[in-house]
Amino acid sequence: MSSSASAENQTGNQPSAPCPFYLAWRTSAIASAVFCAVVALAILVRDFASQKEDPLNAPTLAALKQQLITSPNDESLKQKIRELDLRVRRDYFTVLRFKQTGAWLLVIGMAVFLYSARKAARLRETPPIPGPASDPTESHLRAAAHARHVAIAAMALFAIASLGLAIPHRSRVPATEAEIEKLLAGGASTETNAAPLPTPAEAAANWPRFLGPTGNAFATNVSIPDAIDPTNKVGVCWRTPVGLFGYSSPVVWGDRVFLTSGDETNRYVLCYDANSGELLWQRLVRDLPGSPQKQPEIPAGTGFAAPSPATDGQRVYAIFGNGDLAAFKFDGTLAWGKNMGVPDNPYGHAQSLLVWRDRLIVPIDQSEAEKNRSKLFMLEGATGKVVWEKTRPVPSSWATPVLIEAGGLTQIITLGGSWVISYNAADGSELWRAECLSGEITPSPIFAADLVFAISPNDKIIAIRPDGRGDVTKTHLAWSYDENIPDIPSPVSNGAFVFVVSTPGVVTCLDAKTGAKAWDHDFELEVNATPAIAKDKIIMAGKKGRVVILQAGAEFKELARFDLGEEIFASPALVADRIYLRTAVALYCIGAPKPNAQATP
Amino acid sequence: MTMRGRSFYALVLSGTAAVWNAAAEQRFPPPEFESGHQLPVTTVPPPRALWQEYADVAVLLLCLGLACYFVYRRRSRRSVLWLSIFSLIYFGFYRKGCICPIGAPQNIALGFFDPAYAVPLVVAVFFIAPLLVALFAGRTFCAGVCPHGALQDLLLIKPVKVPTWLETGLSVLPYIYLGTGVFFAAAGSAFVICRYDPFVPFFRLSGGLTMLTVGAGFIVVSMFVGRPYCRFLCPYGALLRLASLVSKWRVRITPDFCTKCRLCEESCPFGAIREPVPPPTNPMELAPDRRRLGLFLIALPALIAVFALIGNRVAAPAALVHPTVALAERYLDPAKPPPPKVPTPDSLALERADHDPASVLSEAARIKRRFSRAGWWFGGWVGLVIGVRLISLTSRPVRTDYEPDRGACFACGRCFMFCPNERVRLGLLSPSELPGTEPARTDTAPVASGDTGKPKTAT
Repeated sequence: MSSSASAENQTGNQPSAPCPFYLAWRTSAIASAVFCAVVALAILVRDFASQKEDPLNAPTLAALKQQLITSPNDESLKQKIRELDLRVRRDYFTVLRFKQTGAWLLVIGMAVFLYSARKAARLRETPPIPGPASDPTESHLRAAAHARHVAIAAMALFAIASLGLAIPHRSRVPATEAEIEKLLAGGASTETNAAPLPTPAEAAANWPRFLGPTGNAFATNVSIPDAIDPTNKVGVCWRTPVGLFGYSSPVVWGDRVFLTSGDETNRYVLCYDANSGELLWQRLVRDLPGSPQKQPEIPAGTGFAAPSPATDGQRVYAIFGNGDLAAFKFDGTLAWGKNMGVPDNPYGHAQSLLVWRDRLIVPIDQSEAEKNRSKLFMLEGATGKVVWEKTRPVPSSWATPVLIEAGGLTQIITLGGSWVISYNAADGSELWRAECLSGEITPSPIFAADLVFAISPNDKIIAIRPDGRGDVTKTHLAWSYDENIPDIPSPVSNGAFVFVVSTPGVVTCLDAKTGAKAWDHDFELEVNATPAIAKDKIIMAGKKGRVVILQAGAEFKELARFDLGEEIFASPALVADRIYLRTAVALYCIGAPKPNAQATP
Repeated sequence: MTMRGRSFYALVLSGTAAVWNAAAEQRFPPPEFESGHQLPVTTVPPPRALWQEYADVAVLLLCLGLACYFVYRRRSRRSVLWLSIFSLIYFGFYRKGCICPIGAPQNIALGFFDPAYAVPLVVAVFFIAPLLVALFAGRTFCAGVCPHGALQDLLLIKPVKVPTWLETGLSVLPYIYLGTGVFFAAAGSAFVICRYDPFVPFFRLSGGLTMLTVGAGFIVVSMFVGRPYCRFLCPYGALLRLASLVSKWRVRITPDFCTKCRLCEESCPFGAIREPVPPPTNPMELAPDRRRLGLFLIALPALIAVFALIGNRVAAPAALVHPTVALAERYLDPAKPPPPKVPTPDSLALERADHDPASVLSEAARIKRRFSRAGWWFGGWVGLVIGVRLISLTSRPVRTDYEPDRGACFACGRCFMFCPNERVRLGLLSPSELPGTEPARTDTAPVASGDTGKPKTAT
């Protein structure tokens, strides 16, 4: 009992009388303390032992669930899991009850201990009796001196503890916005685009992006051989196996062919010699700044390497389904890399990259329109630094934008949701928009005969004049056509005609200016890949590997047909009288072999 | 109910709270339903009604008034005790320690530094009212209104005297803790005083194992050391201590005059009673103190500067308390652990960062800059507190009577009954039994006084 309480209960300072119950209370206190210790120990031991009985971490249950993945219809396995799950949960609650009971026993034991201890202490309590008086001045000075020492010790302790925290701490978070930008750009230096940019003519002579330099999948100066027979090695320069699958299409610059491949574990950029098919280098793209620790779940129908790469003649750029974006120099060294944020796309990201001057255009349409998460980025090609970004009011889409020169401006034509939207490439400002689409937008837009062509999947193809401003839905739609409209392949055009290939293999030739149908023909091929036009010939690849070459003109005429025997999803690249065609397992170069080439068909 | 009975009951209550907490912390995952069963929607309890908040304020003001009345007018320890039990039940267990002035300095600091945060009126009143009362009547809030103090008071079984020098030296800790709380609040990071309050988990019947352990530790210590949290940690107590130093009225041990019988010397379990100190007989005795004072005065700015620098340096690791900074650091950690099989809040946050790294990093950088600025002020405050404490320890007080330390006294009234004059006032002693009194004074009956700090008598 406290001295104050004893003072309240006593009228004098008489010492307490010896109590015969002291030993009893003391024994009770000791016994209850031992009891508490035993109970506490039992609770702790049970707690540790029960950790493996946590339903979330029960190893046997986890193993059975893993088995269920491989045998989803095994009813006996399901029943076994249910029974084990029930048992584990019962065990869990048993442990819980044990702990609760133990805790209550602990409380009771503690109460007995405290009560007994207090009783025993009270029986030994003596009233306050002042001792001999000390010199107050001296005791004050002594206490003050000691207190100063304590305060100084506290100060030193605080300083040491603070410095002990501060000195070893290494923050990874940059202090300034500029440093953040640099970090997100993969620590790229302030390297400028020292080498001169390729001229438009050089770009036109190559295949720098998905669907070629113009985005129409049209090469004006490429001649392809009349006779192609892979079985007899006729017209095939080389064939190189590609180990890892990807839906992306090849891009070509000079004597280099670039591909992307990958899956959830590894994602690669590959560079091949255009003359020999030799793999010059392959680079793993992972663990970039911001790369997700957990890869998104992407259906196999799209995969991680659906977007095609793009090149500006100095670097090749590649983006993958997890948002990892990397730029490699032509010698294979990483220029920069960063993650653009994991695209929130139910089928996986598939929009390809574009280059414009020394810049890179990265479209990421994702999520739902209401969430405003879709964005169009313009990055510096040399550093990856964001020049501008534009939030787009569209949901996930899979169409690659096209760059056009119209109305005195360079426009980026994008499709998504119900909208065709044009942005000014210079600053990302919106120029015009038209509401004419529906469904899940996969075919990419093209530009020919001063018209933008957009496909509303399985619905119609619309031609839009790109010289408007604002909402041009009711003012700038030139024409539309609604038969045999595809849901995956993009339209292609040679300027005079627009060719539309539906997924079941019906090719429709439309007059680009009027939309009048010139002809159509059902090839009875399942087609996923967008065809390409080499001068006056259309190369159309069926999914099963059959390739058809037909005339790109006002009249239908099939010129040739051959079978590669391998699945084809990628659009061909046409450069220097060669067709670079990616199948599911290989990369083909079709055309006349050059004298110094090492053909390996 | 006797004192020991009350303490026993308080212990049982605390133990019960601990048991319930242990059970409440068990979280059980829902089964994996395949039958289309819809889990019930999680509901959020409605906010507290406005009239209830005003009722809290009314209870606070009433309790403060009663505490002053009991301490200064009735001089009744028993009344103060019952009032503190009521406060423990109301502000502690009923209001779950949530509406409490101890954490209020953080709200005020956040209100100052974050224009988007408006300090609730009730919080402002809870912050200001006890301080205003302390300016007039000392720490009567601690005596009968604070639930934390009440709990520790009831737990006190066998008080052990903490040496005065140790108590005085450690009295800087509450100021440093106050600075820490304001530092984190001003940086918009966390209310650390609330988060690491050792008693609130008991009041709320819920809490993490760590805080329950810390709280249990405080409870055990409270059995032997009077009010350890109040004396060595309470940040609001630091403010009340400052206000009490200049309070208009103060608690006096004796209702009449001090006979220097020394019976009250050991009566305060909180070490707040100071013995008389005569003035120095020779002024030269003060020379070492004066030299020390000069030294500390010169060192004070340097101390502030050094600690400001230390505060700035410690701001970087301290910023990790903020969830956004912690998320950004984890996001940039090259050795990120693989995602768990079952998503956790941390792994989900990391996934969100994966989707929008730029905004997370920008926000983290902004918070870190804010921490860095606040770190200068925090460090400077620590240097100031320690420097002023050292300066104050060079002064030599002069006291003629036994009296409570103005800042340290909790106004609990324990010492009243130790004074023979108080017993005479209550009729428990006859005036002739008083030690050191003259027979002529025995015809006067002392009454409750102490309002002005001077003895009063009435005929």
